[in-house]
Amino acid sequence: MDIVNNVKSSSHRIRNSIATLVGLVFLAGCATNAPQDTWQPRGDNAQVINNLQWIIFPMAGVVGVLVFAFAAYTFWKFKDRGQPIPSQSHGKPIVEIILTIIPALILTVVGVFTFRGIFELSNTEDTQMVINVTGQQWWWEYDYPAQAEQGITQPIITSGQLVIPVGTKVLLRETSRDVIHSYWIPALNGKKDAVPGRINLLRLQADKPGLFAGQCTEFCGLSHANMRMEAIALSKEDFAKWAANQQKAYTSPADGTLAKEGEGVFLNQCIRCHQVNGLKKADGTPALAAPDENVYSGAAPNLSHLMTRNTFAGAKFDLLNKTCRSDVWDASPEAIGAKYLAGVSESCLNATDLRAWLRNAPAMKPMYSDPTKLGPSGGKYRGMPNLGLTETDIDKLVAYLLTLK
Amino acid sequence: MITPGSKYFFGLTGLSLISAILYMVLVNPSDLGAIALFGLAGSGALIGAMALFTRDGDVYEGEEAVGASSTGGSPSFWPIVFAFGAALVLTGLATVSAVFILGIAVLIGGGVEWSIQNWADGASADQKFNQFARARAISAIEYPGLAAVGLGVIAFFFSRVVLAVSKESGPIIFIVVATAILVVGVLIATKPSMKGTLTVVVSVLAVLALAGAGTFAALSGERHELAVASAEDHYDASHRECGEEASDHYDHLANNTVSLRSAVTATIFVKDGKVYAEAIGMKTKVDTITIPRSNATSVMFRNLDAEQHRLVVNLGSAKVAATGVVEKVGTCTQLTGENQEQVMTLTIPKPATEAEPYSFTVPGATGEIKLVVP
Repeated sequence: MDIVNNVKSSSHRIRNSIATLVGLVFLAGCATNAPQDTWQPRGDNAQVINNLQWIIFPMAGVVGVLVFAFAAYTFWKFKDRGQPIPSQSHGKPIVEIILTIIPALILTVVGVFTFRGIFELSNTEDTQMVINVTGQQWWWEYDYPAQAEQGITQPIITSGQLVIPVGTKVLLRETSRDVIHSYWIPALNGKKDAVPGRINLLRLQADKPGLFAGQCTEFCGLSHANMRMEAIALSKEDFAKWAANQQKAYTSPADGTLAKEGEGVFLNQCIRCHQVNGLKKADGTPALAAPDENVYSGAAPNLSHLMTRNTFAGAKFDLLNKTCRSDVWDASPEAIGAKYLAGVSESCLNATDLRAWLRNAPAMKPMYSDPTKLGPSGGKYRGMPNLGLTETDIDKLVAYLLTLK
Repeated sequence: MITPGSKYFFGLTGLSLISAILYMVLVNPSDLGAIALFGLAGSGALIGAMALFTRDGDVYEGEEAVGASSTGGSPSFWPIVFAFGAALVLTGLATVSAVFILGIAVLIGGGVEWSIQNWADGASADQKFNQFARARAISAIEYPGLAAVGLGVIAFFFSRVVLAVSKESGPIIFIVVATAILVVGVLIATKPSMKGTLTVVVSVLAVLALAGAGTFAALSGERHELAVASAEDHYDASHRECGEEASDHYDHLANNTVSLRSAVTATIFVKDGKVYAEAIGMKTKVDTITIPRSNATSVMFRNLDAEQHRLVVNLGSAKVAATGVVEKVGTCTQLTGENQEQVMTLTIPKPATEAEPYSFTVPGATGEIKLVVP
């Protein structure tokens, strides 16, 4: 008897646990603080997808519930109770015809709306701005070709955060330097793979200023989950200011400052992979990074104007501390532009993560950067290695990086 | 009792486990090879268990086993095929990889046939039933396999013929042969009385004719221009003819593949002696093309003039380490005729300097397109 009770009790526990789990999953769907929610479109393209979802999901839901209910009813009603096997019949043309026509009609409706959506999303004829997006393990690079009508007279290059003007039809030309990645900012459009050797097009448009989170959605290696991105939509005036700042010439820190010493450390260490446009060596010649000699993908983030971004290391870490980050992320559409353009000041800097990254990057984000295990990548790093910097060097570098605005 | 069918798979499981352990100890414990061997062991165990559970598909019956135990197996040439495969594998290891691959194929084919034959021989005391069991087990593999080999042989011989004859004759031969096959097929289908010896004779004669023609063509070699084009090796990285064209035979549409055409970042045109460019997504003509650093990027060149042109990319200059001489860096497409295209794929690791900006030019035409690598 005890054994029977124990079995019943554990059976109840399992049933209750499953019910609780299902309830929690269901409740999680009601979360409002979900920056990657596909049901909260913030632009025309995402709205097209959302409209399609509102047609297909209810239909699929109704069909699913009906099928499950009918199956459950059948299992319960006709379960083996020892009754004799009922008489068997074969074929019922009317039922078969109905069961063929109904799904065909449903699929026709779904197909019509789906194809309409696909054609709408593939339209690039009225593009107003073009940005090249290049994925590599595990960060995104954005380069803006010269487009005078957008105030870009010389190419801009940045990473981690995509900056776009509000109400502008932006065309992303996606590709990859190493493996297949996939670009996805749910609030602005669907996913699009970034494939080596190919250029895939994705259109984005934001209705209002704001910050929109995204994530690589094609498994791309060890730190795939840490390959994030953010899109920042600014008003046209604010975008013009941002673009003008990105095209500003490099200014070397004043002599005798800690930042100037940091520039020296950068030229000794970081320039092997990271470019800062306009930076010159001591002899006055341009300091050109050589990521192709050290990194598997052949590229490392260009750090020009680094402190105008809010994140680093593939948008995995914030450059802003928690207070200042909330100040930007929670800002109203009217206020976000000014807050974002303020960049990262010394008081707002997330020095803890930045210093930890400079101290030992592989400890912060999983990467293939163990010097003894670079055989498969031909001796090149995938990610940033531990440079063995001293605390003094880190102080100098942080001071220098803070000047890159 | 363990069934005959499951014995093979359990044997495979044991062998794979031993191999996996040896591999881990002697080669690399975390290597893919060990994982594959363990996977093979797992698969063998699973299939063996299934064979045991289903009693080898109920073919095996106790009383028949008693009879089977007193009958000998039928004569088989599969052990010879298997041994021949093993010989080919060993020969291939010492000579060329093609022989090794052929040996593996013969080894697997012979092994499977031998195993099935052996299994079928022990299925019952009734030889007819055993033949039926064998056919049922192996026919689903044999027929498609033989058909694939047959088609491969036909395709090989026919391709030798088409590569040997002139460019104009190839399509004609193709049409004639295809028509003949269609006519014979229709005749056989509509006149069932033709089936039988006549059909076999016609088929054998056709195959022999094809084999003879294919062998003769293979021995004669490819036609002249293909042989010369192959010798010129246009795909060799050192094949750079940015001056006067030295090659006799080059493909004006060498890069005219769908994958390349759909992945170009920009198209550069020459029209009325002037150079201009269009970039994907840009509504107006551009005078600058931006391509990402260290990433293979394709640019298409389209010549709309009657005169032949080539696209040249100028990538500054660099000192040659061996000689210390500063030389210009760049590359070019081949000469491209009117309304024809070439695709140039570039991987540029560093941005240009102010002193030596990158650019695209077309000798004989005016204008240039700036190339920016940010």
